[in-house]
Amino acid sequence: MTPRTITELAAALRDGSTTPQALLADALARVERTDKDLNAYLSVTRELAEQQADAAARTLGDHPDTASPLCGIPVALKDVLCVDGIETTAGSKILRGFKPPYTGTAVQRLFDAGAVCIGKTNCDEFAMGSSTENSAYGPVGNPWDIERVPGGSSGGSAATVAAGSVPYSLGTDTGGSIRQPAALCGVVGFKPTYGRVSRYGLIAFASSLDQIGPFTRTVEDAALVFAAIAGHDPCDSTSEPRAVEDPLASLGAGVAGMRLGIPREYLGDGTEPGVRASVEAAFRVLEAQGATLHEVSLPSTDVALSVYYVIAPAECSSNLARYDGVRFGNRVERASLTDMYLQTRGAGFGNEVKRRIMLGTYALSSGYYDAYYRQAQKVRTLVSQEFEAVFKEVDAIVCPTSPSVAFPMGSRDDPLSMYMCDVVTLPANLAGVPGISVPCGFVDGLPAGLQVIAPRFEDARVLRVAHAYEQATDFHTVLSPYAGKAA
Amino acid sequence: MTLSRGDVDHVATLARLGLSDTEKDRLLGELEAILGHIARLQNVDTSTLAETAQVGDLVNVMRGDETVEPIGAAAALRNAPASDGSYFVVGAIQGTDLDA
Repeated sequence: MTPRTITELAAALRDGSTTPQALLADALARVERTDKDLNAYLSVTRELAEQQADAAARTLGDHPDTASPLCGIPVALKDVLCVDGIETTAGSKILRGFKPPYTGTAVQRLFDAGAVCIGKTNCDEFAMGSSTENSAYGPVGNPWDIERVPGGSSGGSAATVAAGSVPYSLGTDTGGSIRQPAALCGVVGFKPTYGRVSRYGLIAFASSLDQIGPFTRTVEDAALVFAAIAGHDPCDSTSEPRAVEDPLASLGAGVAGMRLGIPREYLGDGTEPGVRASVEAAFRVLEAQGATLHEVSLPSTDVALSVYYVIAPAECSSNLARYDGVRFGNRVERASLTDMYLQTRGAGFGNEVKRRIMLGTYALSSGYYDAYYRQAQKVRTLVSQEFEAVFKEVDAIVCPTSPSVAFPMGSRDDPLSMYMCDVVTLPANLAGVPGISVPCGFVDGLPAGLQVIAPRFEDARVLRVAHAYEQATDFHTVLSPYAGKAA
Repeated sequence: MTLSRGDVDHVATLARLGLSDTEKDRLLGELEAILGHIARLQNVDTSTLAETAQVGDLVNVMRGDETVEPIGAAAALRNAPASDGSYFVVGAIQGTDLDA
């Protein structure tokens, strides 16, 4: 059977042509068939899923009209999201065997809506990376070409949707970790406004940047999931109290009369010609829908990468101080406490995590704090101001999601070249604005993504522009070879 | 930007990261390259810019002074590498002083 969207499955569950238990069996069978190759899952939560599918069946039987559109539909969760009693590793050896004592808010909201969690997805260790090659549990294959990376850090969450195993998943985006893998895997990936989705129960990487969001096959599905997980949560003090605008109300409003900005710095020399051609063709589609296109400038784009690679490591060095072998996670036993810390952390963290802890600790250390951390915080203000200025001229920004399509595994072993993957996604995290990636074409059989960015709390506008583009094209309907194989 | 092997040792100690000599040698080169790239930050005139620590508008988020049910010792200790049922158990705190 062809993989279906949330919207299609919600209808099928209500017309009696399928059941939550049948959807679960189908999803588990697809994972079974594909995951030896893909390695998208760190754990499959069959027992939890069976309980949730049975409960969803009862809800749909009793209240089919008021049940959430997500009720009875399978989902996969990036393994940085805590689920009570379910192993949550963040892709790290140091958390192997860790079973959180509570469920995070965004996940709980899905569970309350009747979602069926089939497993935890593979990711770069502590979400640090752009290829999912930094997982302590092996890399994830891209369903379009198994020799290539799916992007990262939420590579498992992107790959499993692209492989058709689940209609949606949750990931996290600190510098592009939802949008970039979505682009490389040919699916939709949405990073909401900073503060719009609670991070309670999310294993922290960089707290001023992290955001939770969905991977889906359509923009409408992304809006459905966003509507379910967004909103204030007293357990996350950065969570925004203002009401969430219903993203479905304006989804079909189109882009006629909208002013869309193309930042000239986002189509620089680093952009692959095939990606550039796909994105420029997408601009023409939006123009044909009645939008007007305007060249704009975000002059600090180049230096934003440097800002990010000071602030994110600084925050990570602080957040990861908690992995000390005392309260949770693994411990290397030593007679003295200090030796235990050193050996536990030395043995438990992988290379990229160590590199970022070192970089962040250096940037925060006495004598370097002003030159690196404080200076980066000031330039971050400039990056935000430039977005604000551009959004006085245009309603939204349209641009590539990633300068490249999926690259071969092992081809970017130099840290700096890997960091460059995020050059057009991370400025949105620094400014806290929402962004989405939607499939916009293929380059030699590999997907490319169009990114849409809007002002803070204009999440509905991001979805509306992306939806208008998607409905005028059919790239989102093309299935990866693995989705076909699983059929 | 020149980084010394002594700097790497010092930062590893601050971060409580036990690294092998091979790791330290590799990190020295990698961190130098990254810091070399980041050095472009120094070229930005920030004399009129305030720092951004967070992009939200929220300040001093408070909640009512009301008791809520705590997670409880049993659940909090469940993932501990070593505990005695009431407390986390660790080795001797005396013995090494990294910062001396």
